[in-house]
Amino acid sequence: MKADVVIVGGGIMGCAAAYNLAQNGVSVIVLEGSENIGNGGSVRNGGGVRQSGRDPRELPLVMYAIKHIWPNLSDMLDTNVEYHQQGNLRLGGTEQNQKILEGLTERAVKCGLDVRMISGDEAREINPYLSDAVTCASWCPTDGHANPLMATMGYYKMARRLGAHFISDEKIVSLRKIKGKVCQAISASGNVYEGDQIILAAGYESRFLASTVGVDVPMQPVLLETLVTEAVAPMFWQMLGTADADFYGHQTDHGSFVFGLNSGLEPFAKPGKPVSSSIAASAACRGIMRYFPSLAEIKVVRSWAGWIDICADHVPVISKVEEAPGLILACGFSGHGFGISPAVGLVLAQLATGQETAVDLSPLRYGRWA
Amino acid sequence: MKHYDMIIVGAGPAGLSAAIEAAKRGMKVVVYDENAKPGGQLFKQIHKFFGSREHYAKIRGFQIGEKLLAEASELGVEVVLDAIVIGIFPEKEVTVKIGEHVTHAKGDTILIATGASENMVTFPGWTLPGVIGAGAAQTMMNLHGVLPGHRVLMLGTGNVGLVVSFQLMQAGCEVVALADAAPRVGGYGVHASKVARCGVPFYLSHTIVSAEGEDHVTGVTIGQVDANWQIIEGSEKHFDVDTICLAVGLSPMSKLCDMAGCDMEDNPAKAGFVPVVDEYGETSVSGIYAAGDVSGIEEASSAMIEGRIAGIAAAVKLGYLSEAEGTAEIEKQKAALGGLRQGMFAPGMRGKQITETEEGIAISQNLLQYGFVSDEEVERFPGVTHSSGIHPVMECTQNIPCNPCQDACKNHCIKIGSHITSLPSVDPEAKCTGCGMCVAACSGQAIFLVREDCGDGTAEITLPYEFLPLPQKGEKGTALSRKGEAVCEAEVVGVRTAKVFDHTNLLTMKVPKEYAMKARFFRKGEPV
Amino acid sequence: MNDRNRELKPFVEAPDDDMIICRCEEITKGEIRRAVHDGMFTLTEIRRYLRTGMGLCQGQTCTKLVKSIVARELGVKPNALGSATGRAPMRPIEMQILAKDKGE
Repeated sequence: MKADVVIVGGGIMGCAAAYNLAQNGVSVIVLEGSENIGNGGSVRNGGGVRQSGRDPRELPLVMYAIKHIWPNLSDMLDTNVEYHQQGNLRLGGTEQNQKILEGLTERAVKCGLDVRMISGDEAREINPYLSDAVTCASWCPTDGHANPLMATMGYYKMARRLGAHFISDEKIVSLRKIKGKVCQAISASGNVYEGDQIILAAGYESRFLASTVGVDVPMQPVLLETLVTEAVAPMFWQMLGTADADFYGHQTDHGSFVFGLNSGLEPFAKPGKPVSSSIAASAACRGIMRYFPSLAEIKVVRSWAGWIDICADHVPVISKVEEAPGLILACGFSGHGFGISPAVGLVLAQLATGQETAVDLSPLRYGRWA
Repeated sequence: MKHYDMIIVGAGPAGLSAAIEAAKRGMKVVVYDENAKPGGQLFKQIHKFFGSREHYAKIRGFQIGEKLLAEASELGVEVVLDAIVIGIFPEKEVTVKIGEHVTHAKGDTILIATGASENMVTFPGWTLPGVIGAGAAQTMMNLHGVLPGHRVLMLGTGNVGLVVSFQLMQAGCEVVALADAAPRVGGYGVHASKVARCGVPFYLSHTIVSAEGEDHVTGVTIGQVDANWQIIEGSEKHFDVDTICLAVGLSPMSKLCDMAGCDMEDNPAKAGFVPVVDEYGETSVSGIYAAGDVSGIEEASSAMIEGRIAGIAAAVKLGYLSEAEGTAEIEKQKAALGGLRQGMFAPGMRGKQITETEEGIAISQNLLQYGFVSDEEVERFPGVTHSSGIHPVMECTQNIPCNPCQDACKNHCIKIGSHITSLPSVDPEAKCTGCGMCVAACSGQAIFLVREDCGDGTAEITLPYEFLPLPQKGEKGTALSRKGEAVCEAEVVGVRTAKVFDHTNLLTMKVPKEYAMKARFFRKGEPV
Repeated sequence: MNDRNRELKPFVEAPDDDMIICRCEEITKGEIRRAVHDGMFTLTEIRRYLRTGMGLCQGQTCTKLVKSIVARELGVKPNALGSATGRAPMRPIEMQILAKDKGE
């Protein structure tokens, strides 16, 4: 099977790239290894659309997305992606926390971001449900959140409507160079997909596929866990995080709260199917209730785990590869890919069609570790 | 963290049976159940069970539950109620919510015996209050003493639909009709017959068109379906009801198995998403077992044996029982399971249309279509004979694994033989004394004592009667046919209750002798 | 099923499209049918897109119903659609109860 561009990975990056390509009349095949579109981190994350706390190297991508794409995304995709731009509070309760938050804030301000330190009382004015345990916070009013499930499925739906050809349950096991150019993706069942460009956006799996054409991206998988509660009446719309990074999350349009967790054990999870630990949700609830005691009686209905692909220097690789022409890498998102995904989809399409990219991608280039 | 040899999730028939077998071998066992009362579905089963004597035949379900519980507690099994297993994690760790606390426990083996939940069907109005599962109705009336409604339509003629319809009437509800989209009654004919002779009409090839009502059910319309399951115009029938019971099958509650990482399959023969298990009930995760409805919908009797097998297998795995002993005991259980999985309703027979009994007798088509055997058809079955004195008439017309009637008769009037699914027949040489033990022993309420000619133009019929208040001797009422239609006046000439009958009362009524083989039930109140 | 370009019969509105199928999340039959036509072919995708089975009962009531609707729309057998993953907690549980859990 042939197309102009073959995308390996049907997560939000692959779907967003397919959407942008299909919209420009480029023929696309998207190959998803699992049975379900958007099966990895795309649908398992906390939904943050943040600039604050972000590495300066990927800040331009998220700023571009927030300025140009997120506000219109629901219309673009004919899907309510539940985007809310009502700020991000990163909460602290100790002096140590304050130092961490000040450091993050200082760095972001240098990049031209509207983020500032506020007191506990100021934080409570923004979010009256916060407890007195909050003594400081960083506040970025232009941050927000969206629904990762809707954004992922929305990109898929629209790309498909525009003619992108999706195939699920098609696990790609190798890439192949023909006369020096990467142009084939070969599945476990032996199917060959041919494209002028191959976009590799398969999370941690990308590492194994890239190595079949002699390319390595230094990354490792890390487990992350998330929980969701029953729906309650709307309380607040800010995105939340903490200086300790023990939880992050928000209330959704639906009324449920989605919280990402961090018990500290995640880097040591066993390989294989992502499995929640028996204590992570409980630990997160303690953290959440310390800052939000009014959530005490809300019921947790579900928790899940997922793998993220942490790159050696904690920012993704979005890049062509000199020694493997035809290959475009989009991996190593390090657990904060969702917020930048609309911009990544755009720049991937631009890379694949030889256009100038909307933001400078050189800090995210392959080979930067040398 | 607590630690056990075996953690069992679900104190139903499978879970308790496994606990007993494991504890017998010295294993430290805990059983968690999310309900306030143990026993799973057993405690709401007030009817007598089918089967063989070794496997609790003719004992009422809730009494089986009590026996299992008593045996388990004697063996030191810890049964924890109101204990919700909320998660199952690697290394066989479970988290359990007990009261306001979450505790963690690890087991060297785990048995998941979480049972099943009721299926729903959709029709306009299906979300109205008053549309409930038949099992839910049973829980309300038999566990909580709450009447689910007053006038009920039952959708589904499987055993659940039939049994619950009868129990609804016992509780004092009026069952206006049974409907089923299938063209044939799905459950045991004897269960259908005891409902039909109370006067409840059966509408096969019918389904619900809509439920009516603003804030609760006030009526229901059913209609006949064609070969494509579409309603045939003009076939609609309306009933004023306040309750619609859905008895349209069960789905295994297998999410814990999935969470435990067991290989799962969506298997229509097992009625849904189930763990793949081996012959011992062990899943693909070593040491994690599944038994009972969670691994495929069947009867409580088979769940008990599956549980026993899993308990024994776990004992072998953990070295509490030698491989040789374990194998021998499991073989015994397997033989029993094989015995239960015989006959017309065996799991392997699902979907097959049966035309003849094992004896080569044509099946009663009337029974399959209308819920009762017609007067003409009944004569061809071996349990139905005629003689001058009192004698048993066994209207048992389908091959099901059940034989208590054979042992009930001290004079050996009734023969089934060694093949448990054979139809009972009457030994013409043996002498019936009219003791009535067979009538009370028949879980299907299908045995009657008939004196066809009392010499004065009347006949006497003794029938099983499980309604309150009991009619009194001398009381006059109406004799009903197998269809539940009034056929003649009847006078109660005796009502026998005895401990050995276990709440199946024996009502003897006198009718004109031409109705000896037609009258099968007694209705209180003004005679026709 | 894997080929998301699979030909489906054109979407035709049906009189019972407004019937609620997932009671917890109030999702209608019509919404489920439309989702299939928008490419949501598996039970998991339907769930992620519409929230069916994500409410308090966690799909215990509606899973089979949703499956049969999706299967009919796709022209496949319901058991070809897979099932949604079982996840803790099996029953909703208050945050304050979890918060007391120290793993003991």
